[in-house]
Formats: sequence, C-alpha cells, structure tokens
Amino acid sequence: MKTFVRVASSLILSAAVGSAVCLAQAAKSGTVAITGGKLLTVSHGTIENGVLVIADGKIAAVGEAGKVAVPSGATIVDAHGLTVYPGLIDPDTTLGLTEVGSDENSNDLAEPSDEIMPHMHVADAFHAETELIPIARLNGITNAVVAPGTTDSVAGQDIFIQLAGKNRDAMILGRDVALAMNYGAEQRRRGGRGSGRGEFPSTRMGLITQLRQSLLDAQHYEAGKEAAAKKADKPDTKDGDKGGEKPTERDLKLEALLPYLHGQRPVVVGVTEGYDVESIMRVAQEFHLKVILNHVTHSQEVLDEIAAWKVPVIVGSIYDFPRANERFDAVFTLPAELAKRGVKIAISSADAGGPGGAHGVRNLPYAAGFAVAYGLPYDEALKAVTLNVAEMFGFGDKLGSLDVGKTANVVLANGDPLDVRTDVKQVYIEGVAQPMVSRQTSLRDEYAK
Amino acid sequence: MGTLTQSLFGGSLLKLILNLLLPGALALVALPAWAQQAPPADLVLKNATVMTASHGTITHGSVWVHNGKIAGVGEQVSAPASAVVVDASGKWLTPGIIDPHSHSALDSDVNEATSPVTPSMMMIDAFDNRDKSLYQALAGGVTTELLLHGSANMIGGQAVVIKNKFGLPREAMIFPNAPRSIKFASGENPKRVYGSRNQLPSTRMGNFEVMRQSFENAKAYMASWDAYNAKVAKGDKAATAPKVDLKLEALADVLRGKLYVQIHCYRADEFLTEEAIAHEYGYKIRAFHHALEMYKVAGQIAPENTAIATFSDWWGYKDEAWDAIPWNAVMSMRQGVKVALKSDSNDHIRRLNSEAGKMVHYGGATEDEAIRMVTLNPAWIIGVDDKVGSIDVGKDADLVIWNADPLSTYARAEKVYIDGDLFFDNTMPGFGTPHFNGAMHDGGGFGSDDSNEEGN
Repeated sequence: MKTFVRVASSLILSAAVGSAVCLAQAAKSGTVAITGGKLLTVSHGTIENGVLVIADGKIAAVGEAGKVAVPSGATIVDAHGLTVYPGLIDPDTTLGLTEVGSDENSNDLAEPSDEIMPHMHVADAFHAETELIPIARLNGITNAVVAPGTTDSVAGQDIFIQLAGKNRDAMILGRDVALAMNYGAEQRRRGGRGSGRGEFPSTRMGLITQLRQSLLDAQHYEAGKEAAAKKADKPDTKDGDKGGEKPTERDLKLEALLPYLHGQRPVVVGVTEGYDVESIMRVAQEFHLKVILNHVTHSQEVLDEIAAWKVPVIVGSIYDFPRANERFDAVFTLPAELAKRGVKIAISSADAGGPGGAHGVRNLPYAAGFAVAYGLPYDEALKAVTLNVAEMFGFGDKLGSLDVGKTANVVLANGDPLDVRTDVKQVYIEGVAQPMVSRQTSLRDEYAK
Repeated sequence: MGTLTQSLFGGSLLKLILNLLLPGALALVALPAWAQQAPPADLVLKNATVMTASHGTITHGSVWVHNGKIAGVGEQVSAPASAVVVDASGKWLTPGIIDPHSHSALDSDVNEATSPVTPSMMMIDAFDNRDKSLYQALAGGVTTELLLHGSANMIGGQAVVIKNKFGLPREAMIFPNAPRSIKFASGENPKRVYGSRNQLPSTRMGNFEVMRQSFENAKAYMASWDAYNAKVAKGDKAATAPKVDLKLEALADVLRGKLYVQIHCYRADEFLTEEAIAHEYGYKIRAFHHALEMYKVAGQIAPENTAIATFSDWWGYKDEAWDAIPWNAVMSMRQGVKVALKSDSNDHIRRLNSEAGKMVHYGGATEDEAIRMVTLNPAWIIGVDDKVGSIDVGKDADLVIWNADPLSTYARAEKVYIDGDLFFDNTMPGFGTPHFNGAMHDGGGFGSDDSNEEGN
C-alpha cells in the first residue's frame, strides 16, 4: 500500500489524475466517475468531453459531460487532457508460460512428444505471478489469450486471462476457450529434410494425414461412447448383447477434440503461407471447425478466399519479414488488405518486442498503430486490439468497449493509445485502479535515487 | 587513414596490411560503373519540418543539397534557380537513420566460433550487398549501418561500415574512410558457446582471462617487432623479421588505438571490468552494445567517454537481460552517457525511428534528444559524426522525408537520399528503389545477437 500511495502521489504531480486519496478509494472498487476525458468507446465513436461512471467493477454510465449524472459520493477522477479507452486485449501471447527466455526451467510453452496434443491445458501451466504481467499491464493491456507455443499441429487449449487478480483462478476468465493449431514447415519436425530421424510425419502430407486421422478417431470415439451409453440404459437382450456394460475408458486426448468438432469453441490455426492456408482450410471445412486464422503472413494471394470463408484473422506479427523480392510493406499492409475485404481482424503483439515473445506484449498498441501507418483505418485498428478480440473468444458481451454493463477495464493515457510516445497514466481492472508499478519501475526508482 | 601511416611497418608490408585489414581501402579502388542516372547537382527539399539533430527543429525549413553534400539549411536557402525542387510541405525531414549494431547481409557468417579470439576476421568478406534486409532497412530510412560480428567470441573481428546504397556494387556501398571498429563480447554468449564444448571460457572469469592473455600475447608480439625495427635502424643487416601474425597484428592495433572497440556487454559489473581491462592495457572503449544495465552505473561510466548502443525496450530473453528497463537509455543519458539506439535485428532496423519515439514515453526524452539517438549519436559511435548524422552544411546529404512525425508510430519513410542521390521512393511502383531492379538474396534469420545458438 505504501508503494501505491507513492505512485498515486506522483500521478498528481505528473498528470493531475484525481488525488492520492481518490485513487486509494478507487482501489477498493467503489463508485468512480472519470470526467473530462476524451472517450474512445470503440463501439459508438469518440466523445470529446466525456464522463464514465464505474460501479461495482462495471461500467455504469458513459456519455457526454452534462448528460451523464455523476452519482453522489462517487470518487471523481479528473481526466481533462487524457484519453480514456477500454483495456487492450492481446489475442496471442504466452504470458505465464515463460519467464526468462533462455531458462528452460521457466518455460512451459509446448509439449513436443507428439504433434497432436489437444489435451494440453494452458490453465495447468499458467503462472499468475509472472513478472511479465504487471509490465504489460502498465501499457494498458488488461486481457489476453494465452496459447501454447507453435511446435505442434494441435498444441493444446488456450485460456483467456485478466491481467490482475489475487491468484490464478481470479485471473483466468475462461479455460479451454480455444484449440491452438498450427500448420506448415515448422511442425514438420520429425525426419525428412536431412534430419536422419526418418519418423512420421516428416512432410506436410504426413501432418495433414495425421491430423485428419486424429479428428476421425475422435468422432469414432464419441460414437463408441454414445453407443455404450445407450446400451447402458438397456437390459440384456437374449441374443447375447449385454446392456448395462460400463462405458469405454475415457480417452482424454480424443475427448479434448470433441467440443471443437461440435463447433462449440473456435480453433485458432497458425499458418503463414497461402498454399498452407488452403490445405488446412480443406480439413477444417471437412470437419466443420470454427476457424480463426492466425498469422497468414505470406498469404497475400489468397486474401479473397479468406474473405469468402468468412473466418476472422489474427494478424501477428505485422513485423514478420516479407519474402525476398517482395515489396518491403507486403506484411505491414496485411491488416489493411484484410479489413478492406470485410474480414474481421485482431492484431497480436507477437514478435513486437525483440526475441522472446511475451516480453513484448506491452508493445501491442504500437503493432496496431503500425497497421494504421500502412493503411488500416484507425477505428479498425483500435477494434483489432479490443472489441474484435473479445468477440472472437466469446467475451464480446463483457469486454472490449466502453459500454454500460461491461467490465470496467479502462485505461487513462496522456494521448493517442496507439502512439509510441504516449504514456499510460492509470489502468483500471474491474474498476480497481491498478498500482502503476512493476519489477522494472522498482529498478528504475531504486537507481534513480 | 592518417594513423595507419604511423604503422610500425613501412613500404610493401604496410600495403599488405592495408589491403588485408582496412576495409576502407577497398573503396579507394571502386569504380562507379553503376552511375546510370546522376543525381542533380543541386537539389532543394522544401518547406518541411526539419529535425536537424544538431540544432533543433525548423518548422518550415528547407535543405539545399549541392553535389551530394548539404549546402544550406534553414527557413530560406540560397540555391541556384537550376536546382531540382522537391516540395515537402506537411512532411518531416531528418538525417538518415544510422544503426550502430546490425548483422544484416552477412548470411550466417557472423561468428567464426571456432576460437574465442578471432580479431582478424573481416566482416567485409561476408558482406552480401544484395541481401533483402538491406532493402527493408532502406525503406525504414536507414542510410548507414555498422555491420558487426556476433558475440560468440570474446574478440570477434573487424566490422564494416556501409552506406545503404542498395543496388550499387559492393565496393560502392562501403562508407569511404570510416574508422575501423572491432567487436568484443562478454557475458553469457561466449561462456555458453565454449562452455558447451568443455572449453575455455565457460565462466565470466574465463571470459576476461582469455582477453587479458590475448593482450599479453599482443604486447609480446609488438615487443618482438620493436626489437627487430631497432636492429634495422642500427643497420643490422642480419636481423630477421618476426612473422606477420594477422591475429596478433589486429590485437596490436587495438593497443595502438587504431581500432574503435565496440563491446557486447549487458551487466553493470562487466562494464566496470571492461573499463578496468581497457585502462590496464591502454585502449579506449568506444561503446558498450546492449548495455541494458547501464542505468545502474552510468555515473561511473560517463567520465570514460564510452557511449552505449542499446535497445529501447527489449528484456527478459536471457538472464543478463533480466534487469533491463525501458528507462535505461534516458536515465543513462541524463547522467552524461552518450546514448544511441540500435537494432541488432533485421526487424527493428526497419523502425528505429519509432523505437526512438518510445524514449519520449520512457523517461521523457525531448524529440531532439530522441532523434539524436538514431542519427548523430550512433554516427559518433561509428566515428563518422563529422560526415553524417545531422543536417548541417558540409555533411553528406543523407536525408529522409517522412509522411508523419518520425518519432510517432505512424511514420513511413517516403524518400531516402544518400549523398544527395535518391535510393528509395515510396511512390515508385515495385520495390521503390531507383537503383535496384534485380533479384534479392535471402540471408535468412532474425539478424540478432541472441537469435541463434551460436550467440551472434
């Protein structure tokens, strides 16, 4: 608490956001009214001089100054000169699965013993106390999808997190929200290409066959389970068919695929090359998977097809390299080209911060801003790191915009949220003003003395 | 060049050494068969927001270029009527971006990781001037790069300085008469590379002892040449010359102060050890590269006049990057250390301008200070700040026109001039490269010190 008061005090000096007392009260998630700021609602435009009321951790009111009643007893936070926007949501991170990039013991990214690993649950490895989370939160990222590493064709099941909470259970808003899949050269890791291992699958053909067989096995497993369940309800028949027998032993791996075969939850398919997109989409359509495409880095030639499939796309990394002999901006322009075709897009922080991945989550807003530099309309860019992500992963009714009834994940910054020069002044998560500190600010303050 | 003529050697030996060790020497023999369309003798970039990097920003400024050099800068310039005029109204104009730490265009040949001390390895020998990463950097406004060795070795070898004249022959891309730099490394990478083979060094103790021993060897080598030269001076015709040893010759040049020492170094304690070793053997350290913990000891390093070339916000990818903070650059600058940002990456080299913009956010750098971190300060680290790095009369006309404030997320380089010649134009179809129309090579990789197991 001592630290927090100090931070709150420095806020008054630097940005005139309320007072230390006000923020300390806000920390208890009472009623807060953020007044005078420029509100970027994401869902219904910009309000130049707005009021946003937070009560019980939710957005209770939002609108123009003078048209929104400020409840008596509310803590007033003066946001004149500040921009107020919904917390940013990163659609593809490894937060909580890695700490020090080079330290294997601190990494739980992927299980490489087999390509088909749908029964790996990110929730089992998520380290809520990671130092990476406060560092990302300081730049206004309040929610994220955590996905396993990209080694496997079917890597496991993602979680959807909030970047604050007293422990893991409080931070995981959704377990197994999506199935992480990957297709392309990287997964083709056994044998072939001179490795000398000579194990299956060593080609794209092998990968697709293996995947298709796994999905068929899961369907067969489910049919067997259903048949056994029916029999269990029936008495024995005289031709020797025994009712009442126990259902077959559970197969956790195949069972994990079932919700996705039923289209109940999305599969996120990481794929970069256009011809790989076409191959994997054939399988996805055959099994009626609910697809979100991820990366599509070198798929410029199939963008019309992607639009026709009506699948949403996560672009990440926008900083991936074009192929040799492509124009320098072939990848920079992907978000704009997709949006132009009516594709719903999200933008991820992947590779936005040097080697390592999740350490660069704080650069998410700049990846979106970079898409604007290369033709994406600003409003679409902001949506691509807020509302669109929430909608893709089933949180569209709770997060991603400044709308009444949504969780009060709100950010106050001294300028345009997508500009590298902008400083985030205060982050609210479920209406609670987060201490604006991290391991890095502690080091800064220690050595600034 | 001047210092080289004071070599211990004379005559043909000097020439041999020159040819072997001085990449700049190659530029002397370059014949410009490439000059298809000569740039205009006089060029005026008019009415832009001119960020000079040396003397502030001129909101409605113009720059006059004469024969590839900056001939005038200000609200008005007195160019001849024959000058080609480019209207840059509503645009920004900066000096070319300078990257003091790149491994672009070197294929995978950044480490001769077969010995921890390889000072005679010449980066020029691996330079592939058709690599796509050069083009992509050019499109990000980068006009000068210091191509460095990796960090597998304590002493890696000698760098090459290029002007990013993409499309020109290799020799025409070498920065004329740039000082020679040598790359040292320390910390995790050398000890990992050699430790994994059960060789020396496998600890930081081993790292530094390998360096000290190398300089002892160099001193003995120099003494043997001194003795020989003394005999020759006395007219001893029977004196036999010691053999020329490329490795020891390069180390001797470090001790003679002829090489700018560029050191890959992360941790606060290692900056102090490196400075102590430099004092012990009598050489200067031009810059620490990476230098992620400089904020802890900047007050001690500032009087050494050693600069840093650091990342804006990379951290956590290895143990020695665990205490990295994005305020490092500005905190170190405020304590008197000259600070440059660098890419160490084929990715970030394309957007060093907005990496500099982050310094406005992390620590409150002024726009002037921020732009200097990717122009004039890296020029100083390379030793070419008398020729490039700011918009001043007499300097090379390496200039970038941007569509938006280059420190913002939204900036795109629209036109890039090097020596007054247009090398990138965003409005041109295809690659946008007036001097390039061929096939690029793909050297592959991320181009980073830490992106491959060798530890570049």
